[in-house]
Amino acid sequence: MIEVRQLTKSFQNHEVLTNVDLTVNKGSIYGLIGANGSGKTTLIKHLVGIYKQDAGEVTISGTKVFENNHIKEHVSYIPDEVYSFSMSSIKNMASFYKKIYPNWNAQRYISMLQAFELDENRRINKLSKGMQKQVAFILTLSTMPEVMILDEPIDGLDPFMRKKVWKYIVEDVAEREMSVLISSHNLKELETICDHVGILHKGKMLIERDLDDLKSDVHKIQVAYKAGVPEEVTKNVHIMHQEKHGTVDLFIVKGEKKEVLSKFNQYNPMILDILPLTLEEIFIYELGGMGYEIQNVIF
Amino acid sequence: MFQIDLTSRKPIYEQIMNQFKQLIIKEVLRADEQIPSVRELAKQLTINPNTIQKAYRELERHGYIYSIRGRGNFVSSTIRKVDEEKLDKLKQQVENSLSELIYLGIEKEELIALIEKTYSTIKGGNTND
Repeated sequence: MIEVRQLTKSFQNHEVLTNVDLTVNKGSIYGLIGANGSGKTTLIKHLVGIYKQDAGEVTISGTKVFENNHIKEHVSYIPDEVYSFSMSSIKNMASFYKKIYPNWNAQRYISMLQAFELDENRRINKLSKGMQKQVAFILTLSTMPEVMILDEPIDGLDPFMRKKVWKYIVEDVAEREMSVLISSHNLKELETICDHVGILHKGKMLIERDLDDLKSDVHKIQVAYKAGVPEEVTKNVHIMHQEKHGTVDLFIVKGEKKEVLSKFNQYNPMILDILPLTLEEIFIYELGGMGYEIQNVIF
Repeated sequence: MFQIDLTSRKPIYEQIMNQFKQLIIKEVLRADEQIPSVRELAKQLTINPNTIQKAYRELERHGYIYSIRGRGNFVSSTIRKVDEEKLDKLKQQVENSLSELIYLGIEKEELIALIEKTYSTIKGGNTND
């Protein structure tokens, strides 16, 4: 379990994180999303003990992370740019990992090498970028971590390799209740795999919720009335966004589905469609509500 | 056995629930038959185990399955085998046809007479048996 409370961090005079709270439950897959420069990587670097916070608390399994080797043995991290020692082969790196991580699982290491069809004698720096990512996954998952933290990890992998990586991660979540925190801009992929999401915006945690709850709370409504939208319909309804396409009106509405539906149904619409939002749409409209220019996001 | 549509707007747990309901209603899964464990299904579908857990919890709440601690989840034998999805679909079809008839100028009385007639042919036939 990862817990962050009121985390604040500044670099020089620039405050990058402000009172951030974050909770990743044991056995949960958590998606951290946010625009570029919103502070995702900075937050992650606190979770793995690279940065020391100015204020607040960062704990994993109830103990502080910073300069705590005991906890770090059970936490594994794949940064956005994978680092390996120059000249070292996969085998060299594996024996290095073995010395550092007490739960190193040699059997898994070998079976994963086979699954990804990699030769352990190859030098890591000579491998392609995507293959280096694969090596990072093999090494990381072979440490049998309790907590896995992934910073934009999958972007360099082809669809087939992604599927393989996810299979291993899901297996570990199912078998050992591993907790996973993953940051990515690939919202479609996050949507299919995460159970919780947190949206970071300008260094603040905007929303942190169960993904299904979040999705059942916001609706996309397409509606057409004979004589335009009656004023009463939009009264006391939390409208996040509104568009007009000819006679059809598009609303993004927050609220309970039944209530919203009955409101719109009151005035005999000619058509009325209600759809759950995708994570991508939620992201866009939530940030739109915060004054983030929607026009810049949709193209 | 399961087909999850990742591009659908429908939540994944709902998709899993609906597919189980269909399998149970159509008796592909029989009463008291064990269904795959959360772990098995998660691995098989590469889906978050928490999502599967949620689908199972909802299925149990709706009476489609029951769980025995330490043994797993089983198909319930007591559910009413009504295919709600099909019912909704048929109702929707009738509604669409009705709107079309109304649009074409058929009077309300004529529609009601049609319903009465259809109803009595079917139900009336049964009572004479």
